[in-house]
Formats: sequence, C-alpha cells, structure tokens
Amino acid sequence: MKYAFFPGCAVHASAKEYGMSCKAISKVLGIELIEIPEWNCCGSIDAIYAHNPVLSISLSARNLSLAEKMGTDVITLCSACFFTLSRANKLMHEDPKLKGQVDNVLGNLKLNYNGEIKVRHFLDVLLNDVGLEKISENVKVPLKELRVAPYYGCLLVRPPEIANFDEPEHPTSMDKLMEVLGATNVNYLDKTRCCGASLIVTKERIALEMTKNLLLTAKNAEADCIVTACPMCHFNLDAMQKDVESTFDVDINLPVLYITQVIGIAFGLNVKELGLNRNCVSPMKLLSKLKI
Amino acid sequence: MKPKQFQKIVSEVRDQSFTEEVQKLRGGENILDCIQCGVCSGSCPARFAMDFSPMQIIKMIHLGMRDQVLSSSTIWICASCYTCATRCPRGIDIPMFMSALKNIAIKNGFASDDEIKPKFHKSFTEIIRKYGRMHEPELKMKLMRKSDLRELYQNAVLAFRLWRKGKVKLLAPRMDQLSHISEIFEDLLEKQEEEASK
Amino acid sequence: MPREQLRIGVYICHCGGNISDTVDVERVREHIAKLKNVEIAKTYEYVCSNPGQEMIRNDIKKHKLNRIIIAACSPRMHLDTFRQTIETAGLNPYLLEITNLREQCSWVHDDKENATIKATALIHGAVERARNLEPLKPDFLPVKKEVLVIGGGIAGIMTSIELADKGFNVYLVEKEPTIGGHMAQLSKTFPTLDCSQCILTPKMVYVSRHPNIKIFDMAEPISLEGSPGNYKVLIRVKPRFVDKTSCTSCGECAKICPVKKPSKFEEGLLQEKAIYLPFKQAIPNAYVIDKDHCLFLNKGVCRLCERVCKGKAIDFEQKEDIIELNVGAIVVCTGYKQLNVSPFTQYSYGLHPDIITNLQFERLMLQGIHRPSNGKPPRKVAFVLCVGSRSNSDGCAAHCCKIGCMNAIKHSLLLEKAIPDADPWIFYTDVRAHGKGYEEFYSKAREHNVKFIRGRVAEVIPNGDNILVRAEDTLLGMTVEEEFDLVVLSPALLPNTDTSKLAQMLGIDLGPNGFLLERHHKLRPVDSKREGIFMAGCALGPKDIRETTMEAMSTASKVATFLAKGKVTLSPEVAYVLPKKCDGCGVCVEHCPAKAIQIVSSKATIDAISCLGCGVCVPKCPKEAIDLKNCTNEQLMAQIRGVCEENGAAPKIIAFLEKTTAYGSADLAGQSRRSYISNVRIVGVPSTGRVGIKHLLYAFAAGADGIILIEGDDSPFTEEKLREHMIQLKKELGKFGVKSLRLVSTTTTLPQYEKVVNLFETFTERISKIGPIPKEKRAEIMKKLKLEGGSQS
Repeated sequence: MKYAFFPGCAVHASAKEYGMSCKAISKVLGIELIEIPEWNCCGSIDAIYAHNPVLSISLSARNLSLAEKMGTDVITLCSACFFTLSRANKLMHEDPKLKGQVDNVLGNLKLNYNGEIKVRHFLDVLLNDVGLEKISENVKVPLKELRVAPYYGCLLVRPPEIANFDEPEHPTSMDKLMEVLGATNVNYLDKTRCCGASLIVTKERIALEMTKNLLLTAKNAEADCIVTACPMCHFNLDAMQKDVESTFDVDINLPVLYITQVIGIAFGLNVKELGLNRNCVSPMKLLSKLKI
Repeated sequence: MKPKQFQKIVSEVRDQSFTEEVQKLRGGENILDCIQCGVCSGSCPARFAMDFSPMQIIKMIHLGMRDQVLSSSTIWICASCYTCATRCPRGIDIPMFMSALKNIAIKNGFASDDEIKPKFHKSFTEIIRKYGRMHEPELKMKLMRKSDLRELYQNAVLAFRLWRKGKVKLLAPRMDQLSHISEIFEDLLEKQEEEASK
Repeated sequence: MPREQLRIGVYICHCGGNISDTVDVERVREHIAKLKNVEIAKTYEYVCSNPGQEMIRNDIKKHKLNRIIIAACSPRMHLDTFRQTIETAGLNPYLLEITNLREQCSWVHDDKENATIKATALIHGAVERARNLEPLKPDFLPVKKEVLVIGGGIAGIMTSIELADKGFNVYLVEKEPTIGGHMAQLSKTFPTLDCSQCILTPKMVYVSRHPNIKIFDMAEPISLEGSPGNYKVLIRVKPRFVDKTSCTSCGECAKICPVKKPSKFEEGLLQEKAIYLPFKQAIPNAYVIDKDHCLFLNKGVCRLCERVCKGKAIDFEQKEDIIELNVGAIVVCTGYKQLNVSPFTQYSYGLHPDIITNLQFERLMLQGIHRPSNGKPPRKVAFVLCVGSRSNSDGCAAHCCKIGCMNAIKHSLLLEKAIPDADPWIFYTDVRAHGKGYEEFYSKAREHNVKFIRGRVAEVIPNGDNILVRAEDTLLGMTVEEEFDLVVLSPALLPNTDTSKLAQMLGIDLGPNGFLLERHHKLRPVDSKREGIFMAGCALGPKDIRETTMEAMSTASKVATFLAKGKVTLSPEVAYVLPKKCDGCGVCVEHCPAKAIQIVSSKATIDAISCLGCGVCVPKCPKEAIDLKNCTNEQLMAQIRGVCEENGAAPKIIAFLEKTTAYGSADLAGQSRRSYISNVRIVGVPSTGRVGIKHLLYAFAAGADGIILIEGDDSPFTEEKLREHMIQLKKELGKFGVKSLRLVSTTTTLPQYEKVVNLFETFTERISKIGPIPKEKRAEIMKKLKLEGGSQS
C-alpha cells in the first residue's frame, strides 16, 4: 500500500506526535506514505478562500498536481486539509471555467492536473484499505480497561458530498477501530459537533466555550480519554484545555489522544515513538492504567 | 455579542442589488430557495455567539439588507463546520456563502477595527505567500495587540506550555520551490487587486 | 376523383358598424365576388341574427351552395352557430369557413384603407381553403358500462360505492389481502376525533356486500389494451393459500403456526404469525399465508395449520391466476406511501425504539399508548414535522405532506387525553390549517397548551433512555434543546410503490413529484390525459380523508357522465396515414404527444380515439405520408396562398396561431381594442407544430416577408418541443437561403395579448430593417418547391 502523503502545516509543527505515531503504525501495517516533495499550504478552509477562492483552489491544485505525478491518491491526516483539497478537486471537476483559470496558473509553473486522483483521509485508509482484521492481528496490548470517547468533529465526516467514507450524523469508523483494539466506546452526545478550532485564534472565547461543552460531555460519560483524527481538534481539546479550565473555572484534565497514538499503544509501540510525551494533558495516568 | 438593535425594515436599509450580488457568489446561487425553516440555525454549534442566526442572515439577504448583513458578527463566527449545509433541505451551501460575504465585507470596509478575523485572514494569506506553509508563531505575533498586557501575558503562558511540549516551531518552514508560490500569488492576487483598483 | 361543381357563398358582416366602420365591406364584397367559384357574395348588417341565418339557409337551397364563408367575428364566437345553420340547410357542417374580420381586423386597425385590403386578403385565404374543404363526420363508439377501480383504500372504496350505487358494475382491485388502506390503521381522524375504523369498516362491509361490486384482493393489473369506453385489462391474482369461502377466521391456524414476523398492519411494532389475519375487521375476512415466511412453502415442512383447520380452508395448491376484465373506464386510487426515514440520519430513526413515525404512533394509540422501549407511558413527546418534505435534497419530497400539521395536533390532543400530565411539543415549519374546522382545531391545541416551536428540527439524538431534540425556535431566535420520552416523526408522503410503472402501463402521465398528473389543474382535476381513465385520492397528491372522499365522489360523477353518454364521440379532425407512402420509419411515433401512433406491420397506424388532432406528426413525416383532416396540406397551402394576396401594409407578415389559446389571445387584443399595424395576417392552426418547412417556404414564395408562430402555453406541443421545431425550421430555411431572422416564435397564455401584440410590432420593425424578399428569390424558392400554381392573382 503506497500513497502520496500530504502532512499539512500542523503535522510539521504543533502536531508532530500525530505524524510520528502515524509513521510508526504505518510501518507495522505495511502502509507506505511518501511525503509529497515541496508540498505547500492546502489552501485553507476559509482564510485564503474568503479572500480569493481561485487563489486557494490554485494552492490546493498545486499539491494535487504534484501528487498526481506520483501516481497515487493523496492521504491527509488533517480534516481541514482533507476538506480543502477535496473541495478544490470537486469544484475543478464541476466548473470548467474555474478549471481553466487554475490550469493557467499551473501552466506557468510547468505543472498540470488532470483531476484523476482522490483525496482521502488516513482514517479511511486504515478502515477500508488496511481493514479491521489486519489491525486486530497486530494488537499486542488489548485496551481492555480503556474507556474512550471517539470525537469526529466536523469536516472528517461532512459535507457528505466531500467526506464520504463515513456517515455524517452517526459516524462509526473510529468506534469500529476502538472496538478492535479492545477499548470500550462511551456513549456521549455531540461526537460530530464542531469544537470551534477554526475560531480559536480569532474568537477565542467562543471557541473555548464550544470546546468546554465537548470536553464536559465526554468527561461526564466517564471517558478516560478523547480520541481524535484531526490536529485542529487536538490542539483545541488538548493544548487549550488548560485555558478552558481557567476561563470557565472547571476541572477537566481529560487526555486527548490521536487515533494513531491509541492504535500504537495497542500495537505495543513505545511511548516516545508515539510522541505521547508531547500531549499537553498528560496521558501517563491512563497509560499506567493500561500497565504501560 | 453585540446588542441587537431594534431596526425597522424600510426601503432606506434595503438594497435589492445586494440580493443579486449574493446570488452570483459561489454558495449563493440558490439562496432565494430558502424556506426559513431554521434547520441551519438549530444545527449551528456557534449560534449562541451570533447576533443574527444564519437563517436570519438569509432573510436579510432576501430583503437586501446589505449593511446589516455585512456588519453582522454571524459571518465571522461561522466556523465552516458544515452541519447546516449537510441538513439544509434546500441544498444551500451556507458556509460557502458566508466565506463570500466575508470577502465583500472586507472589500467594503465593513469589518471593523476590533474585528480580528479580517486581520487573521490577511496575516494568514501573507504568511502563506512568504513561506508557502503556515508559520504559527509569526501568525500569532502579527495578530497580538501589543498594547494589551493581559493578552501578552496569556499568550506568553500558552507559548511556554506549547514550547515545553515541542509544539512550537520557531524556525520558519522552508520550501525550495517558493518561487511557485510567489507566482501563484502574483498571478491571482495582484491581478485581482489590479482589477479592483480599476 | 371527380369533384362536384364548387359553388361558394360569401357573407360579409357589418356587425352593426363594428366591422363596417373600419372595413369598406362593399369594396371587399366586390373584389371577392369576382373570385373563381364564388357563386354569391353578400354583405349584411348582422349575419348572426335570425334573419341573417335564414338568408344563408335560403341561399344554400336556392343557389345550391356547397361551401359557405362567413366573414364576421372570431370563430371562437360563432363557429358552432353557423355550423348548425348550414347543417339545418342540409350542408355538412365542416364545409364552413369563418374569417375573423372583427377581433383580428376592424377592432385592431385604424387605417381604413389597409384594413380593407387585409380583410380582402383574409377572405381570399378562406375562399382558397374552402375550395379544398371536405365533408367530415364524427364517429361514435359504444361504451362498456363497467368500471375498474385500482386500489381499495378510502379513495377506491368511496369511488366504488358511488359508482355501484348509480348502477354501474365495479371491479375493485386491491394488491393487499384486505381492502381499507391506510385509513384502517388510524386511531382517530382530525379534526372531529371520530374513530377511524368505526367510520371506515361499515363502508368496507357495504362494498363487500354490494351486488354491483366485485373485489379482487391480492391482485393487480398487469396489462391494458383497447380504447376509451372499451378497455381490456388483465389482472394477476396472487394465491392466498387459504380458501376465502371456507375460512371462518377462527384463528386456530395462527395459534399453532410456529413462524413469527413483524406485522405490516401494526407498522412493525407487533409480531404476527406467517398465517395471519391482517386485522380483525379485514375484508375479505379470511386468513392469509405469507409466502415469504411460511415454513412449508419455503422449506417443505410443517403444514401444522392445515392439520388444525376444521373448515379445510388451507390450500397450498393455489396458483397465481390471470383474469381478463372488459371495462369502459378505469379509476386509479393507488394512494401513497411514507418516505423511509432511515437514510435521513439526523433523525436517528432506528437507533432508539422511542423514535417512531406518526403511523406507528397511530398503532401505539390503539395498542394503549406506551413507550416501545419500556412500556411506560410517555409524558414528554416531540412531534417532528416536515421530515423529508419541502426539500430538494436527494430522495426527499418537494411538496408539503398536507396532513402532518393536523395529524400532530390530533396526536397531541389524544396524548393529553390518554395521559393527563403529558407534555406534547410540535416542531413545525409552517402550520397549515386550511381545511374546514382546521384552524379551530389548531386553536384548541393552543388552548390545551400544546407547545408549538417554529423551526425545523436540526437533530434528534438518542441520549441514554431519553432522546434529545435540537432546533431553533425561529420566532425567538433561540436554540431549543429538550429531552423527550418519545419522538414522533412525520415523514413526507410519496406516491405509492409502482405508481410510475402503473402509469406507464395505463399510458397516463406523472407530474414532477411522481404523483399522477391531472388533465387540467383547475378544470379537469380528476381526469388523466387519457380519455376514460380517471384518478382519485393520494395517487394524485397528498390529501386528507375528507378531501379524498370529496374527490372520490367527483371522480365517480365524472366516470358516470362518461359512461352514461353510452358512446364516445370521436372528433373527425384527426391525423390519418396514407399507407402507400408510409415506410414505417417511426419518426411520427416519437413526436406524437398523445402516444396515438403505433407501427403495425411496418406501417404507422393512428388511433383516431387517442389522436388530439394537433398535427405535429404531419410535417415530421419524411415521406409526407400523414395528413390532418380539416387542416390538410392542400387546405393549408391554399389558405396561405390566399392570405398572401393583396398588398396593403408592408412588410407582409403571416402569423400562424394555435387555434385555442394563442388565437384567443389575439382575439382578446381585439376585444381590448389594442390597435396595431395591419400588416400581420393571422392563420389559425391546431398547433404550430402543424406548420412545416414547406408551409413557410410557400408563404415566403407567395409574398410573405416574415413569419410568426405562436403556441398556447397549455398546448401538448410544449415550449420545449416548439423550441426544437424552430431549430429545425431555421436550419431548413438556411438551406433555401432565407434568413432565419425572418421566423420567430413564442408561447402565450390567453390574457397575455400584450405579449402577442408586442411581438407583432417588434417583429415588424425587425423585418422592415431586413427589407422585403426580392421577387427573383421568391421565384427561386417556388421553383425549388416544385409546386404548380403559386400566386394566382
């Protein structure tokens, strides 16, 4: 299994542990992720798009064209990049005038894009290309004691005409993976309700309130941790958790793990390799519960 | 949240060309199809912070209430989470036209000074132009109101926390083909600005 | 064929000055009287008056006239009057031609000189056409006085009763093992809150005992042949595996049957056996074996029911049966089905036992209201309206379900009655309370403190034992987030399964939402497009029981009117095939809007009963093997030749107007005295699709400089088809070197005469700019057309 890999800006910066753990489990599962050389910003959901849609789509298209050269579909880790690249792909497909504009831009760079590849999220690969069976075969430490709250958020599963590997209202992909690892999924509301990550820089207070609600519902459902598949959600839920606590004067202390980290734990990979020391809310108590 | 002011809908506040303008935007094509059912607003996770609900924004667009729409907080609070669009019975791409409204608001100077979002958009775009990729610390620096000591302090605390966890990459990202990015921006941004200035 | 000597009588009406003040009728008369075959030409003060008609009758007898031309008001006014006049004088009524000198000449032109010239030209056209008129006779077919009613819900039941009571034989065909339909499942009906079964089952019994009604249960029509008044329908009857006459409904069989399955009647909320009675009062009141679940029928073992049945009613040997019915008319009452809510996952249907549909709620009410999850009474209940309705998303319905609002109000009130501390909430988009007593019913609900939230529900989420509902109260501009014991969804109403298959088989149309399409939304609301096939109830669109009953009664009345005439009159103005020329290519079949043409042994044959007489097929035929009675190629060409005579106001424009709506619209311009330039000469045609390239070229050759086609908005020759026709015509014109700008078309409604007149004016301007067609060019076209004659002036 070989794919063109689009890490996205966060995985190179604040979400290093996502990339590390992804690499680690990919090795175990025989997934070959080849980073697109000279990739650039995905094009942004809104910041550049609102300013100039064609600019945003052209930035996306450059990445897509580089990936197309590699002859495989593009895999992203970030839900936002997943959406942005897919949206560009879709709009160029539907709108020949737009495609022409973008073709001009790419032409100046001696690039071209035929629109033959798909943009996929790593979770989709795990579930549909690798398969639950292969994942379960590699489980060395069943997560018997672990109660997890899988958190899907927004653009991983929506809108259905773009994110189509799961169901928009009641997604199950992460739940299925967690079950295979032996963990228990807690029942909690709002696993697809937006955490507000796209507002954290500009409307911090609003974003924190949205995050707080989510953290509290998961905590009240007695989850040991939240599991996510997006560096934006992770940043909001994990790195900003202290701010949520201080702003609203609540005690949460709920670890937030990347899905790749949880899989890595179950595969018996070591803590450093999975970057677990990089999570802001320490998962150490949780690991000791699992006797790691 | 801005206090909601009582307003009368009279012809002076209406500009029917605004309705047509929005209809021409990507996402605004079928805006007249809205039946005001409120699914978007009931679905919106950030609704609590908006001065007008997304449904009300659409109604205001129908009536051509240009200034009220462009100065509303709603368009800046939309988090593009797509819950509304997924459920809209009329297939309206609400986040998409919210994006487009932001663009009009910026162009027409509706985004007020204390509105950080336009600045965010601008800085974000500048950084991508400069490096091809995001450089978070620089973005944060650009957006910080240097006069606000409390904010400076809070940011320093956050930065320290992130730095300790290896989440701050001080060095700017590097791309060998940065010229590509410059060309894309020149092609599109400058052209657009030229057109705008004409 | 030797023709009789033509003797034409022309009568020009003064219309008490209405015509003669503008048109110099005497000068016109003088001119026309000189034309060939015109035996007599007269002017008269009021031709339509009794003495006027008497004069014509006398002339016919005295001068042996055999063609009559009346130049007076619009044929829409007095065509039938004058047809009767000449018929009473012994002349075939189709040997009459009316020239419209009032609405389309004197009333719309101020320029007397040119109006007079135009009047002469119009009558000249009529004379030319009259030379080619043929006597025609309408045909009659006897009608079979039996009716097939498809569907045994309340619509089919009421239609059958009405017809049977009027003395017609009715075959009622129902695909389920019992009649009764959805109404049998309901608890009470709004707004009167009377018990649904109590009012329905007596009607069911009445149907079953009526000597004029024969019920075929577990049956459906599979093919249709014949024509209105004489349809032959094949009905497939599925085996019940229980002999209806021997079964006493004692129920011993079901007691012993080892197989359980969800009950369809109970909407899956209860189980029943593989041998079951759909419900206690089912008609026919006999058990039925579910073929898909019966152990014996699937695995070859069991037969326990057979062993215990005292009446020996079990019959595993029963086979499918095909029955032929001969009927005069058919009524389609196939009803509706509810949208399957499961794919609309925001409602979480199927994820919590207490999220149900409103039809399931009906059954819960009858079972004794309880929460399916734990059997406890539900206190707080959310009624979620418009689930999948009023939406253009995939798989949803664009229309309103029409019953959701009143139904939810009914449920709320019933709930409050059953559980005194109940707390019903209704989440609505718009409360629609249009029927008799409905607004009052809505008021009653408000008085009972039913909570109304104006906002479509965003999501329904199972939350432990309870269910969370999120919505915006759009009136308050606030989000509502409440937990409920029970959530009741109101799914969209869709046409029943296989409605489109049935429509195709019957040759009737579906509307854009998949329901059957009526002939006319206002004036023929229960007629299908095919004569003798009618419709009633929800097969036409969502409606409540009262409305369904009223519709069933009006449908029955329409059916009775159709059958009571005893015969079908066939208009003689239909298309016919010249078999010698036809090579069976089938182009006409594609273009016929009435599906009246078939290829039989490689020749086109036109069913004169179905033919609408629009004439669209005629110019489409590459072999000129089709013609249209009373608007034959010969007649139309002759008329074109005639109206192109005389010069008058330039440029000369011929306007072909579809003879009902478009022509009527031009008449209305006259009635409104909307004056315009007198250069446009109007020719009425059954539809503009009747006008082919040859007619256009002939008109150009004969002196026209521009041509207008105007179609009626409600014509079977639709705007889309007209557009295609125009593209074709313009292409052909190009081949003959005629600018396509010289041809224009539009559609109009009756009152839009302003649009018609504006087109006359703007087109005149355009043609004036282009200039006239040179004489040589006209001659060249005529030569190419290889037609003898041409301008005969």
